[in-house]
Amino acid sequence: MRTPTDMIELVQPLIPALRRYARALLRDRDDADDLVQDVLERALARWHLRQGASPRPWLFTILHNLAIDLLRQRARRGAPLELDDVPEERLAVPASQEASVEQVDILTLIARLPEEHRSVLLLIGVEELSYAEAATVLGVAQGTIMSRLSRARERLRRMVEETGGASLRPSLRIVS
Amino acid sequence: MSETPVTEAELQAHVDGRLPPERAAAVEAWLADHPEEARRISSYRSQRDALRAALDPVLDEPLPLALDLRVSEPVPRHSTGGRRSLMAGAAAALFMLGGAGGWTLRDWNAPPSVGTAGLAREAISSFAVYASDSTRPVELAADHQRTLDGWFSERLSRPVSAPNLEAAGLHLIGGRLVASEHGPAGLYLYRNAAGESVALYVRPMEVEKTDRMTSRGEKGVRGWTWADDGLGFGVFGSAPDAYLHDTANLVRAQFRKA
Repeated sequence: MRTPTDMIELVQPLIPALRRYARALLRDRDDADDLVQDVLERALARWHLRQGASPRPWLFTILHNLAIDLLRQRARRGAPLELDDVPEERLAVPASQEASVEQVDILTLIARLPEEHRSVLLLIGVEELSYAEAATVLGVAQGTIMSRLSRARERLRRMVEETGGASLRPSLRIVS
Repeated sequence: MSETPVTEAELQAHVDGRLPPERAAAVEAWLADHPEEARRISSYRSQRDALRAALDPVLDEPLPLALDLRVSEPVPRHSTGGRRSLMAGAAAALFMLGGAGGWTLRDWNAPPSVGTAGLAREAISSFAVYASDSTRPVELAADHQRTLDGWFSERLSRPVSAPNLEAAGLHLIGGRLVASEHGPAGLYLYRNAAGESVALYVRPMEVEKTDRMTSRGEKGVRGWTWADDGLGFGVFGSAPDAYLHDTANLVRAQFRKA
């Protein structure tokens, strides 16, 4: 199947953002890029079924659903941790309890939120989808998006306060 | 000031800069009179900015060839990532098992073995051994939850079922029966999207049949124990204490409701 020209024109500019959302959900560069490749493959196979749907929410919907499936699979399998991902404190006995001051970035904090909260923070705050587009991607009413957004932000605010605000400072570690 | 009251939805839209100008001005004026709310809205903006700052570098990364529609046609992919991460995980598990074995054999002198303090030690050992096991962290996976719950209920002689911890972003991986000097104990394992594992350890109590929620920790593993009506619980992990405490409260609430 050849990639239609209009698909290249409409989809190509959105790929970096798709990679960003996939990376935020999966927190692994290779897994995220593999997932985006699956999204593009599905998009190509279903391009003729799109029927004028706006490409951005359409692609994010495919991506979101595939990512959620993958996260559930990972949880069931008990996805192995990469050596790099293993917290220092589990590789070596820490000098003392006091030494283990929380060193978490904002991405670790959102991973501790329910999936529905995490998605809405990313789709609205980072991907800048409209509230209506986010409602389409997540398959819920726009009012639900607003109440989830409000709850998610408040919960994250409390988690950030527990870290003394440290998690809001830019991290030296770039997401990999 | 505006006659129309400011709504929570408008405050959220204001964080995102999506209010029409006249409404944005009204919300600004309202926030000037409500400093507490203004602080809240400002911290929502900071968290959004932090998220963008953490994720925007992805946009500048060169696009892999396989994702470039101009040069390659998207094709179904044959998964190659699984083996890579499986092997790294096995290495990590060996490393951690070595570490865990070292301290479990070394420095326990006259440790408490009864009550919830004893339960905490058993739970910490189980977490250290099984949560890091990439080959078989659980005996029965989450898709056999009913069998798992039935197994635990039978061996612990009381109804037990895996609580739903989605509210803490935790998905059930599965569980296994483990041996303690007080008889069988049930171990449920959960994991969140950050890959952080949390263990729920449960067994009947002979001593301290009812005990309040207590913070425990040893060698980088932290958690909370409590006992209700003859059943003892431990929630352990290497995540921060406040997160584990919230998780423990979720577990306790669901068992009390059951």
